[in-house]
Amino acid sequence: MTTLLELRDVSFRHPRAPALTIDRVSLALQAGEVLGLVGPNAAGKSTLARLLCGLLTPQSGEAILEGAPIASIPLRERARRVAFLSQAQPSELPFTAREVALMGRAPHLGLWALEAPNDHAIADAALREMDSADLADRTLSQLSGGERQRVFLARAFAQEARALVLDEPTVALDLAHQVLLAQAVRKRAAAGGAALLVLHDLGLAASACDRLALVVQGRIEAVGTPKDVLEPESLARVYGTAVDVVVDPATGVPLVAARISR
Amino acid sequence: MTSSPTAGSTRTGASSRSAAGNLARALAVLLPLLAIAVLLGLLAGAHELSLSRALSGLDPDATVLHKLRLPRVALAALVGAALSVAGVALQALLRNPLADPFVFGLSGGAAIGIALSALLPGAVIATAGALTGVGLLPQQLFACAGACGAAIFIFAIGRSGGQLVPERALLVGVVFNSFASAFVIGLQAVVLPEKTQAILLWLSGTLGYETWSALTAAAVFVLVPTVALITLSGRLNLLQLGDEAAMSLGVDVARVRAFSFLCASAIVGAAVALTGLVGFVGLVVPHAVRLLVGGDHRVLLPTSAIGGAIFLVLCDAAARLMFRPFGIEPPVGAVTALLGAPMFVLLLKRRGRV
Repeated sequence: MTTLLELRDVSFRHPRAPALTIDRVSLALQAGEVLGLVGPNAAGKSTLARLLCGLLTPQSGEAILEGAPIASIPLRERARRVAFLSQAQPSELPFTAREVALMGRAPHLGLWALEAPNDHAIADAALREMDSADLADRTLSQLSGGERQRVFLARAFAQEARALVLDEPTVALDLAHQVLLAQAVRKRAAAGGAALLVLHDLGLAASACDRLALVVQGRIEAVGTPKDVLEPESLARVYGTAVDVVVDPATGVPLVAARISR
Repeated sequence: MTSSPTAGSTRTGASSRSAAGNLARALAVLLPLLAIAVLLGLLAGAHELSLSRALSGLDPDATVLHKLRLPRVALAALVGAALSVAGVALQALLRNPLADPFVFGLSGGAAIGIALSALLPGAVIATAGALTGVGLLPQQLFACAGACGAAIFIFAIGRSGGQLVPERALLVGVVFNSFASAFVIGLQAVVLPEKTQAILLWLSGTLGYETWSALTAAAVFVLVPTVALITLSGRLNLLQLGDEAAMSLGVDVARVRAFSFLCASAIVGAAVALTGLVGFVGLVVPHAVRLLVGGDHRVLLPTSAIGGAIFLVLCDAAARLMFRPFGIEPPVGAVTALLGAPMFVLLLKRRGRV
């Protein structure tokens, strides 16, 4: 099993934070897997995702990309190997959907940053894969939140990086497009890539991911299969609310529902 | 809903949608317009110029054409292009279409640089000129240094919590520009009181009659950083996605930003050294060109340069023509401000932040 991305004993503190945001975390993303990061708000999931991509530099420990410290790899080279999408995207952009998808090709282009026909073909294929081919010529400000998110996901796919790190990629997406995204990510894992998804929807995390890591207060509380991690007592303790977990007899995937008092 | 990626099926369409194709189409529109603007600029003025007489070497038309009109039109085209390119660069760097060398205070910084250079003994200025080794105008070096200084100052003050706040930076720029004008007037009133009138004209942005050697030096100061910015234009596109997204796509954000600011400052310095404070060109032109070509900086930068040349040549011709009955000629900066200030308000309203 090849490790694509890895955090080794990483600690990180935001410049103005009173305490450590990430406290001595080790985590590995293996080739062929989809790994989900779950946990309460402000647990440090997004920070972990950024540390993993080298977008933040840890105070101690290090991030490793395919065996080499990520800090030692030039930015463009990194961008050819890891694609990252943050949870918030600018809404006022003077670009068309196609232009945004093409931006995923940037780390592959030469000095004048001109795309070859092949780059156009890859970007168009990524848009189609995200059911956004018909949006290609519309500017981003004309799109709904979910449509914009699909275009940005197409940008990440057009990057053709082996590792994908997507921070809450499904938040604005409807059910059908959540499934579409999950399948696109699984397809890449099956082809030898890997994906790390930060997710809030535990049900989706259980059905889309091979492994889950439960992040609590800057530490990893549990790592394992969805069945092992999504355990009612620990979820109730971590989230502070009652949770039911039922294993779907047909698929073996845990179904998670929070109890809401009426 | 999933479709298998069929590479090649879109290839014909792709080539017509490429940045190079867009650029070619925009140039096909803009270059004829530039030719028309230049012709108008050559013909407009107090003397009724006959091109056929001038071209066959008959005076006074030949002298008017070669000694007055041509250098004047070349100056207008160069400064218009410079201010527009700097405008596009600043707008990209601040992610705000309201940025402009004048509004952002770079022009004011350049003006201070030039005013200070007037205080220095001639020997120092000659040394500074010699140090560049290429014999470029020392005044332009001071102007560029002043513009750089203003950029650094406004960046330092326009930050909040480690992040540049565009609206705040613009406000600082506007205030700084007023301060710069006042500073220059005050300084000149003390040092060269007899030149106050000329300084006032220069501060409002005036196109004069420059020698070809001065124009060539300025063209180098404008063209070299413009080409540098065009090579960065793909990265300027990525910066629009946000610093973090740009970095994740391979952009060394801090370096690109610093280098682009340096380029914009050099361009503004060259323009201000020639014409003083011509305002709003960098605001009006990129906005109009963006409507034509979209937001891709690989297309927007070169086309804005040509659009800016067209705009300022026409503004200069208008300044000469409209006020001919009164026997005066308003500074071209007054014309661009009359057009540009309402445009600024319009843009601000459209962004919903008035």
